[in-house]
Amino acid sequence: MTYFVLFLGVGFVLGGLGVASNPSPYYGVVGLVLGSVCGCGWLLSLGVSFVSLVLFMVYLGGMLVVFVYSVALAADPFPEAWGDWRVVGRGAGLVVVLVAGVVGWGLIGGSGFVVDAVDSAGTFFVRFDFSGVSLFYSWGVGMFLVAGWGLLLTLFVVLEVVRGLSRGAIRAV
Amino acid sequence: MSPHTKLLASMSLLLGTIITTSSNHWMMAWTGLEINTLAIIPLISKSHHPRAIEATIKYFLVQAAASALLLFSSMINAWSSGQWDIPQMNHPMPCLLMTTAIAMKLGLVPFHFWFPEVLQGTSLITALLLSTLMKLPPLTLLLLTSHSLNPTLLTIMAISSTALGGWMGLNQTQTRKILAFSSISHLGWMTIILLYYPKLTLLTFYLYTMMTAAVFLTLNTTKTLSLKTMMTAWTKAPMLNTTLMLTLLSLAGLPPLTGFLPKWLILQELTNQELTPLATATAMLSLLGLFFYLRLAYHSTITLPPNSTTHMNLWHTNNPTNTIIASLTSTSTLLLPLSPMILASI
Repeated sequence: MTYFVLFLGVGFVLGGLGVASNPSPYYGVVGLVLGSVCGCGWLLSLGVSFVSLVLFMVYLGGMLVVFVYSVALAADPFPEAWGDWRVVGRGAGLVVVLVAGVVGWGLIGGSGFVVDAVDSAGTFFVRFDFSGVSLFYSWGVGMFLVAGWGLLLTLFVVLEVVRGLSRGAIRAV
Repeated sequence: MSPHTKLLASMSLLLGTIITTSSNHWMMAWTGLEINTLAIIPLISKSHHPRAIEATIKYFLVQAAASALLLFSSMINAWSSGQWDIPQMNHPMPCLLMTTAIAMKLGLVPFHFWFPEVLQGTSLITALLLSTLMKLPPLTLLLLTSHSLNPTLLTIMAISSTALGGWMGLNQTQTRKILAFSSISHLGWMTIILLYYPKLTLLTFYLYTMMTAAVFLTLNTTKTLSLKTMMTAWTKAPMLNTTLMLTLLSLAGLPPLTGFLPKWLILQELTNQELTPLATATAMLSLLGLFFYLRLAYHSTITLPPNSTTHMNLWHTNNPTNTIIASLTSTSTLLLPLSPMILASI
């Protein structure tokens, strides 16, 4: 089971690598899915099931779906897939960086590669991730409002940047 | 741009700055920085010109990467020490990462490459915002953690910023790029004294803000975007060219103008800390900047530019001068006699 959790970590990094080697978005999104599934699995292994499911629903079910629809609108006649030499080159360079990071962590890093087991709580206990969300509405209401404002601001900024049929930011004509 | 969008963007800029400068938790500091980054994006890309869009993209990428690095450094510190308090960031590695992140946000060498191009791609007022208001939250974070930062890194960044700000500004003909390099070299001066007397960093920032606001607003009155335009801009607002010359020389740090005060106090404090070679190097390297400030001052006061004789001079101007320019110019040239009071009150 320990090795399964390690596999999840490796899968997370490989998913990120699949996106960072810059293939066409149709193939990059597969890397995002792999990365988010492994991230959710890792959160499950830590015991915070609620946050993991929230991540699944919001990320995969919300943002990724919107991304896929908008990418489907933009045609790419010759997409760079993972078999393309340019993507393979970038991927190989990132693998070198990854191996250097792992070796460096093993040599220099404090605790090295330690994996722990986490226990769950009793019957009348609320999981700390679930109760954490409720804290977000009570003690953390200031941060909640600020974070909500930040997200709303992101929406308005994106709408302003792509405003205009042919005069939007993406096309400069 | 719609007035609602402008209101939204400017209020969010103020909100982000206030959140970061008043926070004592790393998450709130990061949130304020992100709100600032997001809110200034429509302001930079306001004209929808390809140059402006490119400047927006460059600004966003650099600031987002720096915010992510800042978040990672605060998380590593929280992991090692169990708390998120900003002034108590004590472990060396998170401090190093945080210093790098703040250097990217401010535009310190070697993370300065985005700054001149972003300033060149926007209007003069947005460039003023980028040089003054957007520097305040990262500087606040540096000031709060100044007691635990790595001296070697800060000194290298400070000296290189002073050097490259001067050197790279020498070959420029566009006023916005010149002011970008002036900002980089002033940031070098702010960083070098951060470890020893942080109040002087704050003083340098305040006086730099005043002086550069005076310059930017003066240039905005006559819409002077290059040195050629500056030579013939005096006919549009004759009083402004004298005050512009004095403000530019104040930015250069010449006594008896205000800009001399931070440099003088910084050199004095560095010498008191037995860092005389450092003080000498910084002073010498800012002579490079003095050359382009003098060139700017010369271009702004020249009354017979090398034009053909058939060149028509614009004598009747309809632009009223901003009243803020008057107060900013006065304070940015005449505050040196008040230095004991300034030093006692910062």
